[in-house]
Amino acid sequence: MSTTVTETADPSGSTAAGSDAAPARPRPELRSSRRKALAGSLANVSLAAYFAFSLIPIVFILALSLKSNADQTTTYLAFSPTFENYRTVLGIGDGGSSYVRFFLASLVTSVGAVLVSLAIGIPAAYAAARYRFRGSEDLLFTLLSFRFAPELAVIIPLSVIYQQLGLYDTFVGMIWVLQLVTMPLVVWILRSFFQDLPAELEEAALLDGYTRRQAFFKTVLPLVRPGIAAVSLLAFIFAWNNFIFPFTLTSSNAQTVTVSSLAFLGGNQVQFNLVAAGVVMAALPPLVLALFIQRYLVRGLSFGAVKS
Amino acid sequence: MMSAPVDTEDRQPSAAQPSLRAAPTVSRRRRALRPYILVVPAVLLCVGVLYPFVLGVSYTFFDFSATNPEPDFIGFDNFANILSSDAFWNSARVTGLFALAATAVETVLGIGVALLLNRSSLIGRIFERALIAPLMVAPILAAIMWRLFLLPEVGWVRPIAESVGIGNYTGTDSPVGAFAWSVVVDTWIFTPFVAIIALAGLRSLPRSPFEAAAVDGAGWWLTFRRLTLPMIWPYVLVAVIFRLMDNLKMFDVIFGLTTGGPGNATTTLQISAYLDAISYARYSQGLTHMILLWALVFLTLMILVRYLRRVQNRAAGV
Amino acid sequence: MAAIEVQGIRKKFGKLVALDDVSFSVADGEFFCLLGPSGAGKTTTCKSVAGLVRPDEGTVRLAGHDVGDVEPNHRNLAMCFESYALYPQLNVFDNMASPLRSPRFRLSDDEARERVGRTAEMLGVAQLLHRGVDQLSNGQRQRVALGRVLVRPAEAYLLDEPLAHLDAKLRTAMRAELKSISHGDLTTTTIYVTHDYVEALSLADRIGVLREGRILQVGTPEEIWDRPCNAFVAEAFGKPRIGFVDGGLVDGEHGIRFVSSDGAVEVPVPGVEANAGEAVRIGVRPHDLELHPGAEDVPAGRVRVDGVVYVLEHLGRQTEVTVQVGTALLSVVVPREDVPDLARDDRVGLSLDPCAVHVFARGEDERRISS
Repeated sequence: MSTTVTETADPSGSTAAGSDAAPARPRPELRSSRRKALAGSLANVSLAAYFAFSLIPIVFILALSLKSNADQTTTYLAFSPTFENYRTVLGIGDGGSSYVRFFLASLVTSVGAVLVSLAIGIPAAYAAARYRFRGSEDLLFTLLSFRFAPELAVIIPLSVIYQQLGLYDTFVGMIWVLQLVTMPLVVWILRSFFQDLPAELEEAALLDGYTRRQAFFKTVLPLVRPGIAAVSLLAFIFAWNNFIFPFTLTSSNAQTVTVSSLAFLGGNQVQFNLVAAGVVMAALPPLVLALFIQRYLVRGLSFGAVKS
Repeated sequence: MMSAPVDTEDRQPSAAQPSLRAAPTVSRRRRALRPYILVVPAVLLCVGVLYPFVLGVSYTFFDFSATNPEPDFIGFDNFANILSSDAFWNSARVTGLFALAATAVETVLGIGVALLLNRSSLIGRIFERALIAPLMVAPILAAIMWRLFLLPEVGWVRPIAESVGIGNYTGTDSPVGAFAWSVVVDTWIFTPFVAIIALAGLRSLPRSPFEAAAVDGAGWWLTFRRLTLPMIWPYVLVAVIFRLMDNLKMFDVIFGLTTGGPGNATTTLQISAYLDAISYARYSQGLTHMILLWALVFLTLMILVRYLRRVQNRAAGV
Repeated sequence: MAAIEVQGIRKKFGKLVALDDVSFSVADGEFFCLLGPSGAGKTTTCKSVAGLVRPDEGTVRLAGHDVGDVEPNHRNLAMCFESYALYPQLNVFDNMASPLRSPRFRLSDDEARERVGRTAEMLGVAQLLHRGVDQLSNGQRQRVALGRVLVRPAEAYLLDEPLAHLDAKLRTAMRAELKSISHGDLTTTTIYVTHDYVEALSLADRIGVLREGRILQVGTPEEIWDRPCNAFVAEAFGKPRIGFVDGGLVDGEHGIRFVSSDGAVEVPVPGVEANAGEAVRIGVRPHDLELHPGAEDVPAGRVRVDGVVYVLEHLGRQTEVTVQVGTALLSVVVPREDVPDLARDDRVGLSLDPCAVHVFARGEDERRISS
């Protein structure tokens, strides 16, 4: 195929992508714009297909949670919605239910785990960001390894220890073990936030006559507050969503809502619409909180490795 | 160390200023200790977690179980037993297959979704907000949701299957179905994870090389293969590492969906360790599974992180 | 106010040697300039004095006290950072008032407001006091950073390139302002870091020239200008730069003489501390050269060398003429009306005073060997 563009070149002989076509040759250009439109709509269709895949199960669970006992096995979308399932699960008018207790247990353990992680993690992240000291890399990688370690490798011995110490099925025990989830997140992400701040800010504060502690609280903390808020929410979400720790280390007192949701599926007379209502309510807090941290999500989920 | 206020009108008398003679000192040793003081709680926490882990490793050399609370030292017998058992190798195979399949699908699909969203069409902007919803739902809840979704009694998959002519829909009842649906659910949850990281990569790309490629008349596929993919690879690789590590130890999704069944078709190493150690209280057996998985995970992680460093250095060097 | 004594400080960052045996002292109330190219270790030196960088070796003394173990906030120094280091969450007023609210230097609110107002007035940022720092131009930020330093009395001021980001006009005005502050009746010991020799010459009581972590020379502006200790220092001051000619020393009738390698330059070099036969490099400042467009005789005591015009640069009322003498290039600045029709490749003469010739040894350090 000749690449020389001349007036006499036969346009039908050209199979190259339209972009190198000279204006004198209208047909390939026309073809290219049509192809672009086709590619565009194909892209939109693929995207729509993916989001159908992504969202239909959610629509399904919402629908199921709103169906009456009679409707759940007989119809798909044509039903009269009722909040009866939610009332039943929450035990409204029934003096509360165990679900509410599990929900509160999730709340207490997650908030507790985040607070402990912040209290321990903020100084550690600050030290790792600002000081060069022996062992700092080891500490960071030990923490990161918690994120990647198979949980049961710790759970099995821990369950033996917990039985001995009386920590099995307690909030303290749960908050302790959830540090495996929240602590690496807090330290790694906050370190990257601290590193983004120039050290000269604290140096200036020192020379202004503030102590190191005051320099931290006066100059650094206000600037990383959004980062701390984002990390806290993300850590809360991960703690809330965790299943394997409460599943293996609690039985009733400190059992969380994720565990109880699976337990609902056990037994002989499973009411699927009630399970659905329980799942929806348990899934709701993280979904709502996630809306507030969209900006930080990439950075958070990648442990600070990717900044967007 | 409160000091007298500085005299405002008169800058002369240094007596009014805090005196250097009285300045408190901090020795070099105490200064060097500063970062360590800040990390003491974190180190204690690590010790608190590493202690059970080390204890766990030591259990693998005993025959510790609920029925044998005073265990004997048996050396490498646990490892020998497990490595010669078919159940272990089945679990190892399932673990590996699941991790590879799920990671591969999530990576390809995630990059695809990112590319589509990066076209910044209106429909894309709307979808982008909803993209992360599955990722924020607890994996166990997602698994329960899918379990219901797949149930012949109440789910929507059977009617969809029948409408396209698949009559013998069995859901997760068949071994192949259980494995495949586990991969699907994992993909459903975690594709957005790869997608948002790849999207961050795409949005960080400089414009000029692409304009140059367009001027050169490079086609879409060529541009993607030679330009886009290599440039977002450092980002994608971070996502791949996270996904592969997580999928190697995936518990929630599979346990919630199939509990490891039917039979042992979806019994991964974590699930078999759970069954051994928690359900049957054979601690040493379960832990031996976990130590082997742990070794596998860290070997993989080390290789991948080393590769990631190379890729990132190369990217930074360009 | 206090004298500063820096003695033998060394600092390594990893494998990089930032400071290599830096020593100098600044007298009480003195204005001391640290001059050097970027990466010379000026900022590290400054921060070592402030206590923000801890030297691996050596001592820093303030008013005679070794402050090696004194924390930065107890050294009572004020520093202006090249990066400004303004607090982004605070407005201009709060930034400048920050030292006056710290536990070390606290003033009453009224006094602080009065101080900040006066300083802001002096620096021309009074109308910006309620702006956020993100709404300021670089020049304004720099002045605010300077304001945060000047707002309180201190043992010493450490100013790290405080004028670097100002535009030329403002820089000149601020230089004059700084000069009047530093040489007025309120004199505070000051270390002033700059890469601009004009700033150093015009502001400093004394200058320390820093290069690659070493102090090359410390002296008054006159000393450094008249007797640069090596070729690097000589080259760091003056624009156009000092011209160099390479050659050797020979014995002559009237003492030792310099002859360039190509034979084009021959000058007596009285007082050189070297023997005939040694290879040397001489430097002549443009200032010390006179241009002779014709073949006329040069004034008594001056030596004439001949060359051709290599480059002519008209700089307003002055013209910079670069003359090629043999293989060397020597620049001279003359009033434009003196050379109305000089052109490239014209043959011209240059004259110089042998006493104004700087002689440097060849080799690594190119140290000065003329008296």
